[in-house]
Amino acid sequence: MCDSKELLVSFLYDEIDPAEKHAFQRHLSTCVECRDELAALGATRAQVALWTPPDGDLGFRIVREAESPKRRWFQLSPAWGLAAAAMLLVAIGAAIANLDIRYGSDGLVVRTGWNHVNPAPQSADSNVTPVEWKAQADQLDRRLRELEQTMSARAGSPVQNASASDLSDAELLHRVRDIVGQSETRHERMVATRLTELMREYDAQRRLDLATIDQGMTRLQNSSGVTKDLVQRLLVRTAYDAK
Amino acid sequence: MGGDLDSFNQLVLRWERPIYALAYRVIGREEDARDVAQETFLRAFRALKGFKGQAKFSSWLYRITLNLCRDWIRRERRTPLVQAPEGVDVIELAGEGTPSETVEELVSRHEIGRAVAKAMSQLPEEQRTAIILKEYHGLTFQEIADLLDCPLSTVKTRLYQGLTVLRKQLRDAGVESTFGK
Repeated sequence: MCDSKELLVSFLYDEIDPAEKHAFQRHLSTCVECRDELAALGATRAQVALWTPPDGDLGFRIVREAESPKRRWFQLSPAWGLAAAAMLLVAIGAAIANLDIRYGSDGLVVRTGWNHVNPAPQSADSNVTPVEWKAQADQLDRRLRELEQTMSARAGSPVQNASASDLSDAELLHRVRDIVGQSETRHERMVATRLTELMREYDAQRRLDLATIDQGMTRLQNSSGVTKDLVQRLLVRTAYDAK
Repeated sequence: MGGDLDSFNQLVLRWERPIYALAYRVIGREEDARDVAQETFLRAFRALKGFKGQAKFSSWLYRITLNLCRDWIRRERRTPLVQAPEGVDVIELAGEGTPSETVEELVSRHEIGRAVAKAMSQLPEEQRTAIILKEYHGLTFQEIADLLDCPLSTVKTRLYQGLTVLRKQLRDAGVESTFGK
């Protein structure tokens, strides 16, 4: 019986058939070795029981996967990005389209669309075509050259052209000032004319862009009813803001 | 029961501590044991429809846990390492004890626990698992045999060999004198 460690273990854990238990108890009363071993293993069991795992909240809980967030009444999409970009372009265009360039008694005036002013009657001078201002510039250049030649002739030779020699210094100075004044005036007109030209070119390009955007919007509107509705709202809103 | 989260979470609440303790004692690492326990419940929930009640629910959980522990040991290719603090915080220990325990007894109990943990970590996995299931979870020989897929006699042999090695190691560590024979 001493060789049967299985019986010893069964007795140790009290998981043994009653008949076997009774027989083993009888054996223990006569076998010191088995009795000592049983006591030692019992002591070891008591020591083993002192090992406890760390405390701490575990709080395990099975949860369903988080549901996907509720669908919003709208969702951002590439179409929205395109629409936003289009709106921005329209807004900028609307602002620049109100660009007011005038030339009058108070000089050159440039106003953007954000400064809502009553449009002033367009000056007749601002209708100068590019060909005209170029001709005027050439004419001014010729007159300046003539003036330079006249001054040079007077300083270099005592024999003067009658028309030139008859002019006093004061008259000549007045004439120069007059020419310079005309030159400045023409220069300002040239700038205004160039700006008008640029605005016409820009306006043509803007119309082209808007037509392209409009086509894109039409495609978007056709592709989605929701998008269509939203684009319309945006267009209405933009028109309202532009007023 | 299948798919009923509330019911299953009641089971989780009931068994999380024993499952965590089993995992901790087998692999000896607190955080990894927590992961194993968590994974045990997750797998159990997913496989709930396949559980026909042929075994006790607890035995089913133990089997999942032990399989995960084996995977962990195989994956980590290392023996269990019991993480225990070097020093003993007497004040902290005092909060754990029963009113009748002296500080000396508390420290002694703590030291013995550490020695047991260290000795257990050095046992072969089969012996360690058998002792854990028997000593801490109160499974019968037959339940352990079923869980470990081995004969009843093998379970008893593993228990005997494991306890004998522990006894020697604890004695070598100077622990035996505390309890004596």
